[in-house]
Amino acid sequence: MKILIVEDDASLREIIERGLRSEGYVVESAANFAAADDKIAGYSYDCILLDIMLPDGNGLRLLEHIKSLKKSDHVIIISARDSLDDKVTGLDLGADDYLAKPFYMAELSARIKSVLRRSAGSVDNKIVKGNVALDLGSRRVEVDGKEVALLKKEFDILLYFMQRPGHIVDKAMLAESVWGDHIDAVDNFDFVYAQVKNLRKRLDAAGASVTIKAVYGFGYKLAEVDK
Amino acid sequence: MKLFHRVILMLALGLLPVMALWSVLFYYSMVNEINDEADDVLGDYAELIMRRALAGKPLPAPNSGSNNSYSIVPVDEEYVNNNPSIIFYDEMTYIPEKEETEPARVLKTIFCNAQGDYFELQVATPTFERIDLLRNVAYHILALYVVIMLTMFLVISLVYYFNMRPLYRLLEWFDGYRPGEKNSTVPSESSVLEFRKLNEAARSAVDRAEHYFEQQKLFIGNASHELQTPLAVLGTRLEWLVDNTELTEQQLTEMMKMRSSLSRLVRLNKTLLLLSKIENGQFPDATDVDISAIVRDNMEIYEDIYSERSIESKVDIPSQYIVHVNDVLATTLVGNLLKNAFVHNVEGGHVNVILVDGTLTVANSGTEPLDASRIFERFYHKGSAESTGLGLALVSSICRYYNMPLEYSFADGMHHFTVCFNNK
Repeated sequence: MKILIVEDDASLREIIERGLRSEGYVVESAANFAAADDKIAGYSYDCILLDIMLPDGNGLRLLEHIKSLKKSDHVIIISARDSLDDKVTGLDLGADDYLAKPFYMAELSARIKSVLRRSAGSVDNKIVKGNVALDLGSRRVEVDGKEVALLKKEFDILLYFMQRPGHIVDKAMLAESVWGDHIDAVDNFDFVYAQVKNLRKRLDAAGASVTIKAVYGFGYKLAEVDK
Repeated sequence: MKLFHRVILMLALGLLPVMALWSVLFYYSMVNEINDEADDVLGDYAELIMRRALAGKPLPAPNSGSNNSYSIVPVDEEYVNNNPSIIFYDEMTYIPEKEETEPARVLKTIFCNAQGDYFELQVATPTFERIDLLRNVAYHILALYVVIMLTMFLVISLVYYFNMRPLYRLLEWFDGYRPGEKNSTVPSESSVLEFRKLNEAARSAVDRAEHYFEQQKLFIGNASHELQTPLAVLGTRLEWLVDNTELTEQQLTEMMKMRSSLSRLVRLNKTLLLLSKIENGQFPDATDVDISAIVRDNMEIYEDIYSERSIESKVDIPSQYIVHVNDVLATTLVGNLLKNAFVHNVEGGHVNVILVDGTLTVANSGTEPLDASRIFERFYHKGSAESTGLGLALVSSICRYYNMPLEYSFADGMHHFTVCFNNK
């Protein structure tokens, strides 16, 4: 899988590159509009991460250009501008997703996977880890083909971990992703603990081969069940 | 006080002493004129009597139907030396025919006959009542004053309002002016130089203010946007360290603490961006939003999050309440009010949410009243350091955006926040 990163900030470009390489992608990068245009014209990529605020041009024009070349490259816009207008314009122009800065690497990698999965033509849109299958469309979870009933928040938590296998996630981060802006000003994350405990119990009871493991006192990680 | 009223009042007050002075002068000149005439007549009459007396002709009968009277009294030389030879004065005299005392003008003079005997002649003629004249003059002056004032009021109001129209147009324009919003252009048509200059000055002042306002908005927006990339770098690098290096528990704990501070910073920046966007009016699209549904969803989440504080909540809302607003703003508004009620609550406290007649009241337990003039300010913290101090500022900003009245009060140990949706 080949990915092109178009981002003018060197430090961000470098860390995204490193992160994606460690996940097994082939990564190339461009620091400005001209370099990106060159690369897009010469090669094709599975996914292009496109910063729309470039020093020498608007990334949206680059997007138009890609689409006019009738290439099948998927585009995820990464932008400091979290406005609905930009989002709508970007998606209208044919971008596959829109991610506002600042984002977690885990989030970015989850989005890339999601875009690539969609393009692979998988209609059911499932994420599978071990014997656990999670269907994004119908919001159903199956263990060994048998449905496990989960509450809404439990599903969200499992989805979050399934999208980020191997990443250590602390309670605050998890709470922020699942409960959104609501957890602003919260100083006690016991409610996260309670939810994760319930989810773990349900997974164990269904005989799942993965579980959510506590990492030290503050975080969690999706891991194989020790046999 | 309106300028017109002020002008009229000043004119009225200014004319008052002028009219008073005028009436005094008029009165005295009138009195002088009348006395002059009377004195002439008296002089002629005295001369006639003296001539007849000296010539030995018969004197006219006293009081011969003319109300004039005279008397001739012989006087000695000493009296002559001590008195002026001719004198006019006013006196009250008794008129036997009328049997009343009337004011009279009197001429006293001394003459001498061929024998060297001195006589004093006193001639009197009835004259006018001074007090009557004075009253009359006063009445007429007052009437004149009123008539002049009324005429002036009419003329000045016509002239004033006709000529001041450009000023009122400009004032009306200023009333409708909102900085940073789409405004009609400053009125400019006027043939009067001063008004043209005033309009010109207003236009350039407004243009300048708009320019600074625009720059300020851009600056806040840009500063927040520029922060996003470094924040993203920090976040992803911390994440990479956590995921890809062998760290001790202590190191990892430190990393997580950094990350939690970082996410606070990210939220703060996001909220500032949101605030500046609201104030820039960048949420123009409105849809039908169900406030009841937003309240229910949020209550569920906050009851979940704050379950360990055993806060008792009571929700009394209709099954549906539709308001035509931007859905992001509606969610932010209600969410922040409810969040505020839970965050700034006490252990085992209460949260009451009531939505009646389009008025949403969110009440929560508290220990003491808050400073109502400051709670809606940005970064006004009380207690919880975790709070961004922007939640209520956001609420107030959204309410201002939609002209929805927002009020705070403290009663029975509860903070009450009230938003009226149907005023929109």
